[in-house]
Amino acid sequence: MTKTGKKPGGVEFRSVSRRYGKVTAVDSISFQVEPGTLVTLLGPSGCGKTTTLRMIAGLEAASEGTILIGGRDVTLLPATDRDVTMVFQSYALFPHMNVLDNVAFGLEVSGVSRAQREQQAREGLAMVGLDGYEMRLPSELSGGQQQRVAVARALVLEPEVLLFDEPLSNLDAKLRRKMRDDIRELQLKLGLTSVYVTHDQEEALAVSDKIIVMNKAVIAQEGTPVDLYRRPVSRFVADFMGISNLLDGRLEARRDGRARVVFGEAVLDLADPPLKDDEITVAVRPQAIRVRTEGGPASLPVRVRKATYLGSHLEYVLDSSVGELFAVDPDPHEAVAGGATAFAHFREEGVALVPRTGATAA
Amino acid sequence: MFRSHAIWLVIGWIGWAILPWYAFPTTYPPLLGALPASGLTAGFGGAPWLLPFGLCLALPVPFVVARSRHVGAALVVAGGGGLAWMVLEGFALGLRGWSHPFLADLFGPIGTGQVGMGWGGAATALALLFFLTLGLAARGAMKGDRFTTGAIGFLVATILLFVFWPVTTVFSQAMLPDDGLSGPAALVARLTARDIWSLGCFNGPTRCGVVWNSMLLGIACGLITTVLGLAFALVATRTAFPFKKMMRLLTVLPIITPPFVIGLAVILLFGRNGTVTLFLTQNFGLTGTRWIYGLPGILLTQALAFTPIAFLMLIGVVQGIAPSMEEAAQTLRAGRWQTFRRVTWPLMRPGLANAFLVGFIESLADFGNPLVMGGGYEVLSTKIFYAVVGAQNDPGRAAALGIVLLALCVAVFMIQRRWVGSGSYTTVGGKGFSGTPAELPKPLKWLVYGTAVPWAAFTFLLYGLILYGGFVENWGRNNAFTLRHYVTAFGLDWGVDGLLWTGRVWNSLFTTLEVAGVAAPITAAMGLITAYLLVRQRFAGQATFEFMTMLSFAIPGTVVGVSYILAFNQPPIEFTGTAAILVVCFVFRNMPVAIRAGVASMSQLDKNLDECALTLGATSTQTIRRVIMPLLRPAIVASLVYAFVRAITSVSAVIFLVSARHDMATSYIVGRVELGEFGLAIAYSSALIVLMGLVILVIQWLVGERRIARPSTGVANARPREVAA
Amino acid sequence: MSLSTRRQALAATAFLALAFGTAGAKAQDLVVYCGVQEEWCQAMMNAFTKETGIKVAMTRKSAGETYAQIKAESANPKGDLWWGGTGDAFLQAAEDNLLAEYKSPKLGELHPWAQRQATDSGYRVVGIYAGGLGFAVNTEILAQKKVKEPACWADLVKPEYKGEIQIANPNSSGTAYAAIATLVQIFGENPAYDYLKQLHGNIAQYTKSGAAPVIAVARGEASIGVIFMHDAVVQTEAGFPVKTIAPCEGTGYEIGSMAIIKGGPNPELAKKFYEFALTVKGQMTADTAHSYQVQSNVATPLSKFAPRLEKIKLIDYDFKKFGATAERKRLLARWDSEIGSLR
Repeated sequence: MTKTGKKPGGVEFRSVSRRYGKVTAVDSISFQVEPGTLVTLLGPSGCGKTTTLRMIAGLEAASEGTILIGGRDVTLLPATDRDVTMVFQSYALFPHMNVLDNVAFGLEVSGVSRAQREQQAREGLAMVGLDGYEMRLPSELSGGQQQRVAVARALVLEPEVLLFDEPLSNLDAKLRRKMRDDIRELQLKLGLTSVYVTHDQEEALAVSDKIIVMNKAVIAQEGTPVDLYRRPVSRFVADFMGISNLLDGRLEARRDGRARVVFGEAVLDLADPPLKDDEITVAVRPQAIRVRTEGGPASLPVRVRKATYLGSHLEYVLDSSVGELFAVDPDPHEAVAGGATAFAHFREEGVALVPRTGATAA
Repeated sequence: MFRSHAIWLVIGWIGWAILPWYAFPTTYPPLLGALPASGLTAGFGGAPWLLPFGLCLALPVPFVVARSRHVGAALVVAGGGGLAWMVLEGFALGLRGWSHPFLADLFGPIGTGQVGMGWGGAATALALLFFLTLGLAARGAMKGDRFTTGAIGFLVATILLFVFWPVTTVFSQAMLPDDGLSGPAALVARLTARDIWSLGCFNGPTRCGVVWNSMLLGIACGLITTVLGLAFALVATRTAFPFKKMMRLLTVLPIITPPFVIGLAVILLFGRNGTVTLFLTQNFGLTGTRWIYGLPGILLTQALAFTPIAFLMLIGVVQGIAPSMEEAAQTLRAGRWQTFRRVTWPLMRPGLANAFLVGFIESLADFGNPLVMGGGYEVLSTKIFYAVVGAQNDPGRAAALGIVLLALCVAVFMIQRRWVGSGSYTTVGGKGFSGTPAELPKPLKWLVYGTAVPWAAFTFLLYGLILYGGFVENWGRNNAFTLRHYVTAFGLDWGVDGLLWTGRVWNSLFTTLEVAGVAAPITAAMGLITAYLLVRQRFAGQATFEFMTMLSFAIPGTVVGVSYILAFNQPPIEFTGTAAILVVCFVFRNMPVAIRAGVASMSQLDKNLDECALTLGATSTQTIRRVIMPLLRPAIVASLVYAFVRAITSVSAVIFLVSARHDMATSYIVGRVELGEFGLAIAYSSALIVLMGLVILVIQWLVGERRIARPSTGVANARPREVAA
Repeated sequence: MSLSTRRQALAATAFLALAFGTAGAKAQDLVVYCGVQEEWCQAMMNAFTKETGIKVAMTRKSAGETYAQIKAESANPKGDLWWGGTGDAFLQAAEDNLLAEYKSPKLGELHPWAQRQATDSGYRVVGIYAGGLGFAVNTEILAQKKVKEPACWADLVKPEYKGEIQIANPNSSGTAYAAIATLVQIFGENPAYDYLKQLHGNIAQYTKSGAAPVIAVARGEASIGVIFMHDAVVQTEAGFPVKTIAPCEGTGYEIGSMAIIKGGPNPELAKKFYEFALTVKGQMTADTAHSYQVQSNVATPLSKFAPRLEKIKLIDYDFKKFGATAERKRLLARWDSEIGSLR
C-alpha cells in the first residue's frame, strides 16, 4: 500500500447522546481525537463504549449532539458516506468471498479498477504478513489470520479514521500481544487516526496515545496512559486501571500544598489533593507495596496470609487493620513467609487519593 | 447526494406535466394534440384539483438547485402534502363527481368526475412518495440511509394500497346493516354465529363450529408438514442416504402441482371405488367406506401439498447451522444425541416455528383441498367461499368469517413469536465456518428415514398415477391408452398464416406464464427487502409493518379476490380485468413466504457483515447485492420458486380476478374437474408440472449456490454440496 | 448512491407501471360472463362471432361467482351480458337492480316458462333453457348391493339407501336449494322439512357444488345423487353406469337464464347477442357441445339425449316466490338450524 498523502482527520464529539427509548446508552459526552493518534475507549461492558464507536462509524445515529470528522459535521451522514472503516470483534469477513476479494471489497464498491484494487489488496495483505493466502476462503484461515485479513481490509481504504471494536478478544494471549503491537506499529507507521474499543486495561495502556474511560454512559476520565494510571480521579477509574487496593483513609493537616494521609496505622506525607472532603479513599498499586519485617511511621502492620513465589517477583495477600491488601514485590530476595507478621511500606508514586464516594473528580 | 433529489424531481414533473394523467380517455384538453391530457393540461382545462400537484412539485426546486440546508424539510412538506392531497381528491371525486353525497352538500354539485389514474398519476405519486422519504433521510431518518427510508416508504405505501385498503373495504361489509339490525349489532351477530363457535359435537347432537374444525386442521397440518419437512431436510443434509436427489425432486413435486389434482388422485386411489380400496375389498373382504372424505382426506392432501414448503424453509436452516458448533458440543463430551438435542435442535427452533406458522396459515387459507376432500367437514375457507358465491350470497357473513380467520392466524403468529423469543440464533458469523456436519444419532436417523422414505414413496406413486391418468381414455372405467387429452389440450396446426394454436389450453397457459413470470421476481425482491428491513433495521411501527405484510397471506384468497374487485374497480385506481391486477394480487399474497424465508435465513447472518460492508463504503444496495444476497441464495431460490409456482397453482383469489382476456390455467382446470373431464384436467396439470419443474431448474441455475466452505473430505462424507432439489 | 437511487427508481417505476399502466380493455369487444359448461360456452361464442363478426371476450364462471362479481363491479360494470346459469342468481341480480331491462321481439317464440321468467323479473331476465331435477343412480353399485333403484322422492328415505345418497349443501349450491323449494311445493313446508330430516340419515355427504353428486355417482363414490338430470346424461354418454330417474311425485326445474348487465360498456352489442341466443341457430349449439337441456325457443329441436320434459311430471314451480331473497334466506336458515347443524 502506498501512502497517498491523504491527511488523517480528527474526531470530535460535542455533547452527543444516544437513547433507546428510555434507556440512555451514551449520555451527552464530548471528547476529541487528535489526527494521527490512537485513542482507546475503555470500560466495562455496557458502559457505552461500543455505541460511541458505532456512532463514529455511522452505524448508530446520535439522538442529540454533533459529531465531527476531519472538522466536518457528519452527524446526519450515513455510514456509507463517512470515510471511516472498522475492524469488528467478530472480524465480519464475508464468508463467500476469498481473502483477496474481502480485502478488495471496499475498493471495488468505490469503483476502483480491477487491476488497481487487486494490487492494493495484495499490498495490504503483505503489510499484515498474509501474502500467499489470497485465494483462501475465510473458513480456511486461523483466528489470527482472519483477524489480519480484517485489519488489511480496513486499512486498504486509507480511511480518515480507523475503528477497532475489541479486535483481539477472540485471540489467545500470546497472539493478542503480538497483534496489538502490530496494530500499534501499523497505526504509527501510517499515521492513522484510530479509535480503539477494549475492556482490557493492559491492552489500552499498551496501544494508546490517549485513553477515555467510560462508565455508565458517561466519560469517567480521559488522559494519557500515564495520567490514568498515576492519577485516577475516582474509585472506579482506579479500580478499573488495576489498582486493586482501595483503602479508607483521612486527610489531616492540609496546608502549604501538603497533607498527611492517615489510613490504619500508616501515615504518609503527600501533596494535598484537590479534594473537598477529608474522608478519602487511598488507592495503592500492588507494585507500590514492599513487605518487610521491620516497621516505621509510614508503614502498616500486616499478617502475611499467602506468599507466592513467581520467579521474577513475589505476590502477597496481606491482612491489615484496614482490610485485605494485594502486593507484588519485585525483590524476591527478602521474601516473608506465609503466616508471619510484617510491615507494609508504601512507595509514594504508587499511591493515589480519590474521593470516597461518587464516580467523578471534584 | 443531491442527484437522487434531482432524478425524482424530473420524474415527478414528467409525470404531472407530460404523461397522460388518467388511464382512460377523457374530455380534458390534450397536450400538443398527441398525448391525452396530462395533469397540467387537465388541471387548467376543467380538473382544477390536479393543480396543487404542480405546487408540490415546484416547492422543492429552489432548495434542490441551491443545495439548501433546508432541502430535507422542503421535500418532506412537498411530498407529504402532495400525497395527502392525492388521497383526498382521489377518494372525494368518483366517476360521476362527488363520491359521497355529503361532499356535494358541502361544496355544491360538480359537473365532472374522474376515471382511474394512469401513467402520469402513477409517476407523480411515486415522485411525491420519494420526495417524502428522501426528505426524511436528509433530516437524519434511518441514519440518513436513503435506500432504507425509500424502501420503507415504498413498501408501506404499496402495502397500504394493495393489502390494507382492499381488506378494509371488504371487512367494512361485515358492518352492513342486516335484518333490521344496525351496523355494529349486525357485526356482533355475525361474529358470534352458532355455526362458527358451537361446541355441539362435544355436548350435543349438533356439529362443532367451523372455527374448531379449522383450528384442528390447521394445527395438525402445521405439525405434520413441519415434521415431514424437517425429516426431509435432515435426510438431505445429515445422512448418507443414497437417493437424496430423487427424494428432493419428489418433495418438490407437490408444490408445482395445480390444485385439485392431488385430491383427484387421492380419491381415485382411496375413494370408495378407488384402486386401493377396490384391491382391499376384493382381496380382504373389507367394505369400502368414505373415510377419506373429511378431516383425513384434507389432512392427507394438505400434507402432500405443503410439506415441500416446510422442507424448502427448513433446509436453509439446517444447512445454516455451523458444524463447528456441533463439533464444539461433541468435544464437550456430548454424545450425538445430546448434541442434537442441546445444540442442533435449539438452533433450528426459529426455522421450525416459521415452518409451523406457514403450514398452519396455508392450511387455514387453503381452499382447493377442503373443497374436493372435505365431505361434510366444514372449514372457514370453504365457508367463506360459499358465503360469497354460494346460494347465500352474503358478503357480510363472508367478511365476518374472514375476520375470524384472520384473528386465528394472528393469534398463532403471536404465539410463534413468543416461542422463538429473542434468543440469538446467529450461526453464520464473520468468522466463516468449517467442519463437517454431525451425522444424526442412529435412532433418530432411522426415525427420519422411516418418516421420509415412505412418504416419498407415496408421493412417487401418486405422481406416477397422475401422469398415467393423462394417457388413458377414462381413468377407472376405460384404461385404454390414448393421446386424445393431450391433443385436445395442446393441439397445434399449420394454417395459411403459419402455426395455429388450436389446443384448448394455449390461451390460459400463455397468460399464466406471463403473469407468473412477472410476479415471481417482484415478489422475491420485495419479500427479501422487507425481510432485510425487519431483521436489520429498527424503526417506529415496525411490528405493525410486519403484521401488515402477513395480512394478505392470512386472508383467504376468495376474500382477497372480492376485495380487489371492490377496491380497484373505480377511481382513483382502476385496473380490474387486466393482467396487472393478477400480478399485484400474487405479489402481495405470496410475499409473506419470501419474507419468512428471508427472515429465517437473515437472522442467521451476523449483523456485523453488512455493517462492515457499509463502513467499507458500500451503499445499502451494494451491501444487499454483494454480501447479503450471495449468502441468502437458498432463501432467494425458495422465494422465487414459491412465488412463481404459487402464481401458477393458486386458484381461490384468481377465480374472481380472471377476465375474458386473462384466464388462468387453474381456473380452467377447476372447470374441467367440475365437469368430471378428469382426463383433460390431468393432462394439462401434468404438462404444467413438467413445465414448472423446468423453470425451477432454470431458477436454481440462474441464482446459483451459496459457497462458504469447500466440501471437506472428512469422515462424514454425507456433507452435501448444496445441491438443489 | 446514485446507483441505488437509479435502481430503486427503475424497480419502482416498473412496478407501478404494471400496476396502473395496463388498465382498460378494448372497448369494442363484447364481454360475456358464461355460466354453462365450457364446451358449450366456446361453441356459442364461436357461433355468434361467425354469425355477426363481433368478437367476444368470454369468461366462464358459475352463477354464484358471476353474481358476486357483477355485484362487486356494480359501481363500474366491466361485463355486457350474462348468459347461462341457474335462474335464481339472475332473479337475485334483477332484484338488486344490477340488470338492464330489455324486451326482445322474440319473446313470443319462447316456451311459456321462459316468457314467465321475463315477466317475473320485469323483463330483466329471460329463460334460455330448462332442466329438471332428478336422481342419478349408479346401476352397477345398486346391482351389487341388490337394491332396487329409487323411483320417487319418498323412496330416498328408505333404510336400504343409508349412506348412499349425495346432495349438495343448499347453502352453497343452487341445485340443492331448488330441491328444497321443490319439496316444499310438493309436500308443503313442514312435511318437507320432516322429510329432509329423515333424509339426513341416508345422506353420505352434502357436497359443496351442485354438480358434484353426479361425478360421485359416476365414479361409484355414492350410488344416488340428487341433481339436474341433464348433468347426469353427460356422464352416461361418457361411459359411466349412470341412469337418470325422474321422481314419480313430480319435480322442479331450473331455468337457465340470460340478462344484459346494467351499465355495461357495450349495450348495443349485448342486444345483438341476446337476440342471437334466442334463435334456433343459437340454441342448436347446445347439442353439439354435449349439453342436453331443453332449449327455450319452441322451434329448437330437442336433442336425442335430452331428458324429455314432457315425459316428466313437472310441478308448477313458483320462481317468483322461491327466487326472492327473503324467502330463500328464510328457507335456508330453517334448513341450517334443523338439518345442517345435525351431526
